[in-house]
Amino acid sequence: MGTALNLIFIVLMVATALLAVFARDLLAAVIIFSVYSLIMALMWQRLQAPDLALTEAAVGAGVTTVLFVVAIFKTRRREEE
Amino acid sequence: MRLLHNYQYVAAMLLFCIGLYTIIVRRNIIKKLIGLNIMETAVFFFYISLGYLDGGIAPIRVGGADPSRMVNPIPQALILTGIVVAVSVTALALALVILLYRQYGTLDVDRLFRDEEKEPESGTERGGTA
Amino acid sequence: MKSVVSLLFIAALLGLLLYVVAYMPPMGDPENPTNSSDVTTRYLEKAEEETHTVNAITGIILNYRGYDTMGEVSVIFCALAAVLAVLGREKRGKIYAYADRSRVPSSVIVRTMVAFLVPFIILFSIYTILHGELSPGGGFQGGAIIGASMIIFTTIFGLYESSERIPQKLRFPLEGSAFITFFVVGVLGLVGGGNFLTYAWPNIATDLQPAVVLWLTILVEIGIGVGGAMVLISILFSMIREEEEIAVAP
Repeated sequence: MGTALNLIFIVLMVATALLAVFARDLLAAVIIFSVYSLIMALMWQRLQAPDLALTEAAVGAGVTTVLFVVAIFKTRRREEE
Repeated sequence: MRLLHNYQYVAAMLLFCIGLYTIIVRRNIIKKLIGLNIMETAVFFFYISLGYLDGGIAPIRVGGADPSRMVNPIPQALILTGIVVAVSVTALALALVILLYRQYGTLDVDRLFRDEEKEPESGTERGGTA
Repeated sequence: MKSVVSLLFIAALLGLLLYVVAYMPPMGDPENPTNSSDVTTRYLEKAEEETHTVNAITGIILNYRGYDTMGEVSVIFCALAAVLAVLGREKRGKIYAYADRSRVPSSVIVRTMVAFLVPFIILFSIYTILHGELSPGGGFQGGAIIGASMIIFTTIFGLYESSERIPQKLRFPLEGSAFITFFVVGVLGLVGGGNFLTYAWPNIATDLQPAVVLWLTILVEIGIGVGGAMVLISILFSMIREEEEIAVAP
């Protein structure tokens, strides 16, 4: 049970990381990156580290994602070829 | 050969290589910053799973918790500092990205290196910001 | 061409890392070199008596390894200083650019819910800061949650409204408060007991010593929380401001 849940989280993490790398629209890449931060926060709780889970959730979803969105808003949105 | 038993270490190395691939190959600077963040979280993941104990409990001592069953608290204290440093680096890098776009009008690394010898485009530049 | 060469390089690096991982000690083993060292056992057993905090991690980062936390708050302050040097602050007093007054077009539902939720988020973050040594939480977590709540408020209501609530003359003195709190508590330790960053108060009775350690720990945590929140809010305001002067506010 414990190992199966860990494996599901790891597969989700690798999948979202790959999707965030290969997305052409930068806003989509940043939102997928915030999903990656959420799954990482759940993984910290599986490793019995509740302080880190709180920090990663607050920082990853609250601060880093919004700073990325502000930077994309000030520059351009699509990746150039 | 313990590759199947140490599956969390394997996942951390895989995520590190995904992040490194992004930084090397992708040409947009914001994509490279996303790759940098993926690399940093992969390293933190590797470091915390070093201190894990099978059937361990969190290192908070309430209700008569047994200290000999707690997971290792020292990596967690060190990585807390690491997460704060990671968010500081990301904030500063994004501020530099905004300034770079104002000066040159593009965020593509190949075009930035090619246009570096010429003067910066004066499309959005004025006589210095505040 | 560059893509193929870099893929080969990364495949070689991944192979080398997996080879190292295959021969590491098994994960989760109590006889690991990292889990069976004497430092770990001592920190886990003596954390409650010596640091008077229930959460062992808060005891480690604020008491046993306090220097590292001092370095961390100086790093986040340097990031703020560099962002302000690159982008500049918004104008003091009235906001001059008309674009700063504009808000994201949003419906009445979103605006009402955000205005309703933000006080509760701030209340939760104050709880997280003050409960840092009794439950998972701590100084920086609470500061990041306050920063996140102000980010939501700024996105929906515009920079002008948000800058009225937390004006510049409130943010100026409080941005460096994390490092200053650490420094003051450290010098108090020098005056009162022994080394730098020993939690002690000069000329106090010996049986009040646990209370002194507890209250100084709470003070340092509040300092880190408020400082971290102000730094994140200032970074956001610098990045979001428009630099054109379109209209002068009356």
